[in-house]
Amino acid sequence: MSETPDLSTIFFYIITRGLPNTLVLTIFGLVLGFLLGLALSLMSVYGSIELRWVASGYEKLLRGIPILILIYIFRWGMPGLFWYFESSLDRGLASVVLALALRSGAYQSQIFRGAILSVNPGQMDAGFALGMTRFQAFRYIVMPQALRLAVPGWSNEYAVVIKDSSFALDVGIFEMTKAANQLTVNFPQLLTMTMVVAAIIYFLFTFPVTKFFGDRQTKKLKDLGMGGN
Amino acid sequence: MSEPILRLVDIWKSYEDLEVLKGISFDVAEKQVKVVFGPSGSGKSTLLRCINMLDPPDKGEIFLSGQSFMDPSVKLNKMREKIGMVFQHFNLFAHLKAIDNVSIGLRRVKGFSKEEAHAKALDALKSVKLTEWAEHYPAQLSGGQQQRVGIARALAMEPDLILFDEPTSALDPELIGEVLQVMLDIAKAGTTMLVVTHEMGFARAVASEMIFLDEGVVVERGTPKHFFESPKSERVKHFLKQIDVLYGRHEELLEPFDKEVNK
Amino acid sequence: MIFQTSSNPIEDFLAILSHWDKIFTGFVMTMWLYAWALLIGFVIGLMLAILRHYGGRIISPIATGYIEIVRGTPMLVQLWLIYSLLLNPLGRGVFYTSFEFFGKDITLVFFNARIIICIITLSLNSSAYQAEYIRGSILSVSTGQMTAAQSLGMSKIESIRHIVLPQALRRVIPSWSNEAAYLPKYTVIVSIIGVADIFNQAKNIGFQTLLYFPVYIFVAIIFIITITLISKALDIVHKRTAIPGL
Repeated sequence: MSETPDLSTIFFYIITRGLPNTLVLTIFGLVLGFLLGLALSLMSVYGSIELRWVASGYEKLLRGIPILILIYIFRWGMPGLFWYFESSLDRGLASVVLALALRSGAYQSQIFRGAILSVNPGQMDAGFALGMTRFQAFRYIVMPQALRLAVPGWSNEYAVVIKDSSFALDVGIFEMTKAANQLTVNFPQLLTMTMVVAAIIYFLFTFPVTKFFGDRQTKKLKDLGMGGN
Repeated sequence: MSEPILRLVDIWKSYEDLEVLKGISFDVAEKQVKVVFGPSGSGKSTLLRCINMLDPPDKGEIFLSGQSFMDPSVKLNKMREKIGMVFQHFNLFAHLKAIDNVSIGLRRVKGFSKEEAHAKALDALKSVKLTEWAEHYPAQLSGGQQQRVGIARALAMEPDLILFDEPTSALDPELIGEVLQVMLDIAKAGTTMLVVTHEMGFARAVASEMIFLDEGVVVERGTPKHFFESPKSERVKHFLKQIDVLYGRHEELLEPFDKEVNK
Repeated sequence: MIFQTSSNPIEDFLAILSHWDKIFTGFVMTMWLYAWALLIGFVIGLMLAILRHYGGRIISPIATGYIEIVRGTPMLVQLWLIYSLLLNPLGRGVFYTSFEFFGKDITLVFFNARIIICIITLSLNSSAYQAEYIRGSILSVSTGQMTAAQSLGMSKIESIRHIVLPQALRRVIPSWSNEAAYLPKYTVIVSIIGVADIFNQAKNIGFQTLLYFPVYIFVAIIFIITITLISKALDIVHKRTAIPGL
């Protein structure tokens, strides 16, 4: 670019150069966090006292560490961690994904635990009375409702992770915020504009989701009579 | 005389320091309807929850068609398939339509195919007169309708015995009738039932035996005729009077008003 | 080698501790930023919550809009945005103090352009989240209270001030404590624009000692301990100010 980029150039630059990595980080972070969070929540609701203690300890730990520090621990504190990735970029991505996933798991665990606990326990009794095993009762009665109840909290978590993905730029990942910043290398006066555009892009990715899956879903669930004790 | 469907032998249960059931024993034979009644806190609900081992008793034995629940080789959930339960607060599965509430036990526990389960569920809903509401969710049904679905859910499993835990206590007065009617119908059709309830009209109509429970002990038992004509213990008499007061039938309640009005 | 440490953790720990002056100044900076952000965030958040709930058809959506935008965009973007706007206007002035302590020169910087930018960003960000907590607790104070107050002759403002807010603020303590305890975490973002908080100091120590892994773990532990202490302290405050039934 030899001439000062205009609004649409900025917009497309950020999206085309930055969005792929942002999405990779967000999706992998959320999915791995989901698996971890589900396991932890089952441990804390149905597990023995030792398992509950482990789950609780993990949550406290991961909620107290700033995400940036966690990223640094995996990227620069343990540089050999992802030795099987050859490119430095891949190792960087993997480190950030790991940090995001571990953190997200701790928060998603709370979301699922709350959802599981808010399913009316009388329904479990009804399941047992029909002859279901604990596992069947969980699978057919509690889990379907808990997953639906977790959606609002989960949509919020998605917003958090996609925002946190911006920290990846500090370890050399070229995602959206970095793209916005990169434009100012040659045109420092554009920082305000690029940041406003970046903000708008992020907002478009978060607000519709949290609004739709948050408020509307909560209302739908209330109408179905789920999640009230 | 064949084996009774249900036999309770000397059931004891405590919660913390409180003894809730103190040595309960009785039988329920096939096609019989037995009504357990008594003041609150007498242990009635606890008794039902002990029978299908939702809360196992501390002491005593429970036999279903001769098979002991206490036998360690017995699989609890298999036994529970043969006992149906209808709950005071319905406990319908909120995320399933009425028809699915009734069919899920058939599909997931008994292993019927989707089509077979659906057909049997529809039959059960027919017997409680709710086929039009099959595709509705519990939240869209009235209390009386929800409880009838609960009864259909228990019926569909074709159990040896159905337990009813105060099935009408959580219902608005005008909805009680429809549920009691269904219960009467299935009693007359020969279902073996053990019912905890205050509904004396129901007991009078179909109970083979009534059992009065107070403070964890069987105080008196007998036919409905026995209870309504010549109850023996004072506690029974007192309780029956309070039920009458509840339903506004007692003469003592009516008298003073008459006197005032006629002055 | 996965970890980059010498084989003796005690040695590493002592090596890190030898840079205690950096740790100290970094920690002071982090806490300094945190305290300002929490305080200013609370004041702005309280205003936002009141405007959003009692504001009326024009003001309420504006307050809501602000909150949604701040919550829907990354803090880093917000930081750079404010940086771009305020760096030049704020000039090059510095407020600091220097002293000697146990043989080391310690300089505590209190205000400069970057620090002010960070405080503003952290405050504005925190205010949006605090506003949501406070709004929740305002909602939980039943409208009947407002009606009763007004029927006694109080104006709307007086009712808010004397009846609704005291209850709402008392009720918000548990969720507010959550925000207050975890806010220190978010101050690390300032390291990206070169403010010498504890994370940047940790990076320095790592650079000088090559003990990257231990120093990052060390700082992580400092955060966990700080957060736990703040949580516990707020718990005690909550218990001491308990009103039955509230």
